[in-house]
Amino acid sequence: MSIIPSGDGRIIFLDGGMGTQLQAKGLQPGEVPELWNLSHPADVRAVHEAYFAAGADIVYANTFGANSAKYHGNAPLADVIAAGIALAREAASGTNGRRFVALDVGPTGRLLKPAGDFEFDAAYDAFAEQVQIGAKAGADLVVIETMGDAYELKAAVLAAKENATLPILATVALGEDGKLLTGASVECVAALLEGLRVDALGFNCGFGPDRMLPFVKRLAAATSLPIAVKPNAGLPQVKDGRTVFTVGPEEFARDVAALADAGASIVGGCCGTTPAHIAAVQESLGCVLKAHSTVPPQPPRTVVTSGSRAVEIPFDDTIIIGERINPTGKKKLKAALAEGDVAYVLREAVAQSEAGAHILDVNVGVPGLDEPAVLDATVQAVQSVTDLPLQIDTSDPRALERTLRHYNGKALVNSVNGKEESMTAVLPLVAKYGGAVVALTLDETGIPPAAEGRVAIARKILARGAEYGLKPSDFVVDVLCLAVSADAQSANVILEAMRKVRTELGCRTCLGVSNISFGLPARPLLNAAFYTMALANGLSAGIVNPLAADMMTAFRAFRALTAKDRTCSNWIAAFTDWSPAMPVSSRLAASGTPSSAKPEAGNESALSASIRHGLKADAAAAAKTALEGGSKPLDVINKSIVPALETVGKGFESGRVFLPQLLMAAEAAGAAFDVVRSAMPAHDGAAVKGPIVIATVKGDIHDIGKNICRALLENYGFKVIDLGRDVPPERIVETARREKARLVGLSALMTTTVCFMEETVKLLHEKLPDCKVTVGGAVLTADYAAKIGADHYSKDAMGLVRYAELLFQ
Amino acid sequence: MTADLAEIARYMRMGRSVPDGELAERVTRLRDDALKAIRPAQAWRRFPIAEGAIASGGLRLEISGTLGRHLVGCQAACLACGTIGAGFDAFQRRASVSSGVDALIVQAIGAALIEKLMDRLEDEIRVSLDKGESLVSRYSPGYGDFPLAAQRVVLALLDAPRTVGVSLTDTLLMVPSKSVSAIIGITKG
Repeated sequence: MSIIPSGDGRIIFLDGGMGTQLQAKGLQPGEVPELWNLSHPADVRAVHEAYFAAGADIVYANTFGANSAKYHGNAPLADVIAAGIALAREAASGTNGRRFVALDVGPTGRLLKPAGDFEFDAAYDAFAEQVQIGAKAGADLVVIETMGDAYELKAAVLAAKENATLPILATVALGEDGKLLTGASVECVAALLEGLRVDALGFNCGFGPDRMLPFVKRLAAATSLPIAVKPNAGLPQVKDGRTVFTVGPEEFARDVAALADAGASIVGGCCGTTPAHIAAVQESLGCVLKAHSTVPPQPPRTVVTSGSRAVEIPFDDTIIIGERINPTGKKKLKAALAEGDVAYVLREAVAQSEAGAHILDVNVGVPGLDEPAVLDATVQAVQSVTDLPLQIDTSDPRALERTLRHYNGKALVNSVNGKEESMTAVLPLVAKYGGAVVALTLDETGIPPAAEGRVAIARKILARGAEYGLKPSDFVVDVLCLAVSADAQSANVILEAMRKVRTELGCRTCLGVSNISFGLPARPLLNAAFYTMALANGLSAGIVNPLAADMMTAFRAFRALTAKDRTCSNWIAAFTDWSPAMPVSSRLAASGTPSSAKPEAGNESALSASIRHGLKADAAAAAKTALEGGSKPLDVINKSIVPALETVGKGFESGRVFLPQLLMAAEAAGAAFDVVRSAMPAHDGAAVKGPIVIATVKGDIHDIGKNICRALLENYGFKVIDLGRDVPPERIVETARREKARLVGLSALMTTTVCFMEETVKLLHEKLPDCKVTVGGAVLTADYAAKIGADHYSKDAMGLVRYAELLFQ
Repeated sequence: MTADLAEIARYMRMGRSVPDGELAERVTRLRDDALKAIRPAQAWRRFPIAEGAIASGGLRLEISGTLGRHLVGCQAACLACGTIGAGFDAFQRRASVSSGVDALIVQAIGAALIEKLMDRLEDEIRVSLDKGESLVSRYSPGYGDFPLAAQRVVLALLDAPRTVGVSLTDTLLMVPSKSVSAIIGITKG
């Protein structure tokens, strides 16, 4: 489909810069350009007329910043937009041939969460209002341009789709590194916009056409949609504090022609370009047929993205989907989800990412939990700490829709199955929000025992998907892993079904590998062996535990042995330090520096010394050695760990030890604690103290201080429920009540957010009179803390630990 | 652009003491990772000061109180904004999840880098000055009685969301978090 009815077969021409043209006519810095639609209509119309005269098929109405989040003019938004569309329409009517008017939708000027504080839904609302007004005013299409954040781009496209039936052209502003401000790559943007089914996509602003060339080539390789380019007249240069553009019309036209050769079929200009630039482009490309058809079509790929990274689920290679954020059989995670302890989930996310996962599964299926709300919140939180795409794992369609909508990027959906109910609920959502979807080969009759039956269900799901416009490459088939202990043929059937899915349907596959060993001893060994077999039979994505060494070894070995890891560089990087006789404990110890672990005073234990020096691995090893040498767990804690922490804490308070060293010592103590705790029967003397609820207050997004407090408290043996940042008072109170917390710690960095701290303190005291509140943060003082009613002021993290120790004695 | 261990140490409240051993290794590793995550951007623009204010396009920045005293005798000033980018914030969030030490170090690295960037920006402005002109030290919204609300005007006059990708939260915090905005007076003689 073309973005305009007459566009088939030839290049479509867009206009050039509007802002820089208005500046030349006297628009001042700080002025609202869209107000000129009302105050200087002749000037605005003249710009449009000049672009039509230069050969533009489409002009962008002067509505770039006309969204309620950005616009702060003194005339009603609706009037400004309607006048903008009308002026462009008037200019169009004065020309020969069919000319088109686009509603121009630019960014809100606000940064969305988690990078900023603006809600996705608020951005959507602002765009939706703009689109409704623009469509009513008679725009022929919607252009979304100069987007620097993939998440905001998604909000704008959804708003355009849901509030009008006009064609959509979406272009982003790349930096010189080929990425958006918030990090999305060209491939990431392409996958997102294709998934959202825009009509054309491309780049505008940023730099000149010469620098745009390599990125247009990459885009042409990543999309089958028409490509639009609207570069600046060169790189902006600052001259006497003013931005100027120096590339003239001829040079511009020559470089734009190269972009058309590379696949662009919709061309125009952005900042600094003039009617002369567009006339020159029209001159050189006016008779050229759409270049895009000369670029060979790309084989369909299966790509999912986060806000910044695209990951391909390959047909001829394999990737890892981390399975650990799934409460089934995981007590600690279940508890963390029930308590709203985000930090625990985030640590799982980061650990799997560091271990080498490519996609993370997120499942919050705990009975009694409000799954739509919790899944949505958890996915957003996980996205704030990892750039890996996520697999949204739920059987609740409401949870799926809410989460897919707010997901930053193009997600992998887990899952749809062959039941009518599932297909009807899930497939339209995948078609609407974009995404790839896992197809489970089961239906109303259960899981077919033979491979043929499973392939038949996959075929049925694909056919239903086609009705919604989904392609086979939008599916990843999971033929279902059943325990070999229950059915001796299970593994054989799985492998056969996977081969058939590849050859007969041309689909990628995924599999929850570790189910195979259910009910048998030595599960990790069996899992790794079966994983290798599945890989050899073409598994595209194993859903596995990336922290399990045997699985990662199987993955790396398979890739090295099948020429996927071509120079074996990944294998070498993973195993350079490997030696056959090295047990795990001594390997841990070797990663520290043994010399500094020597006890300095004759009677100080190696453990105490390791803690004082902040040597985490040494401390864990020393704790293990002490336990193996017969020391009682409680003695290790009370005679080594606690005194060492005490020494460091006093050193900090007297200024001899600095904060980083205090924290390193605390981390080492925490590692030793973990070793000792795992050797203790539950509810032994040194039970965990707490819980303490901590949060950065509403309105504040600075959480470094709070995070340091959490780390220190945990390493001093407290249980901490960390609610994150920008937390409303009600949620803090509710959590403290539910968890029966005796202490709440609040952090705020700015004078503008201390008011929310005061509000939170008041509410806590009102609702939970027995709960103490301690506050801290850059702008606070003891006096101020008292003034806002806090029970205690924590000068620093150590101060908080001291207060907590006193309270929980 | 980079920062050395001593500079980073100052932002970890270590005074003149320079990290060594394991801490030095960690700072160096995180610093190198941080440098891959940043995307520095800067914008500035010169404005005349007339009747105790900078005024343009219907916006007005009052130059009075402590700021007025700081800029006494200046007939022009530059508004400036610099950032090391949203990628750094994402890196900082990641680093803060598993380790308080890393959180502290990364925050110090960010502080050192944005300070470097603002120094570089001042150098760029200095080159553009006319003969006989010089800069007074930079002054940011929130210092003295220069209200934080002035951020709105400073960033609007620089079109900062578009030119450098810096915007404000409802509570007037700049995002990305490692961003600085300032007014830098220009004196003659």
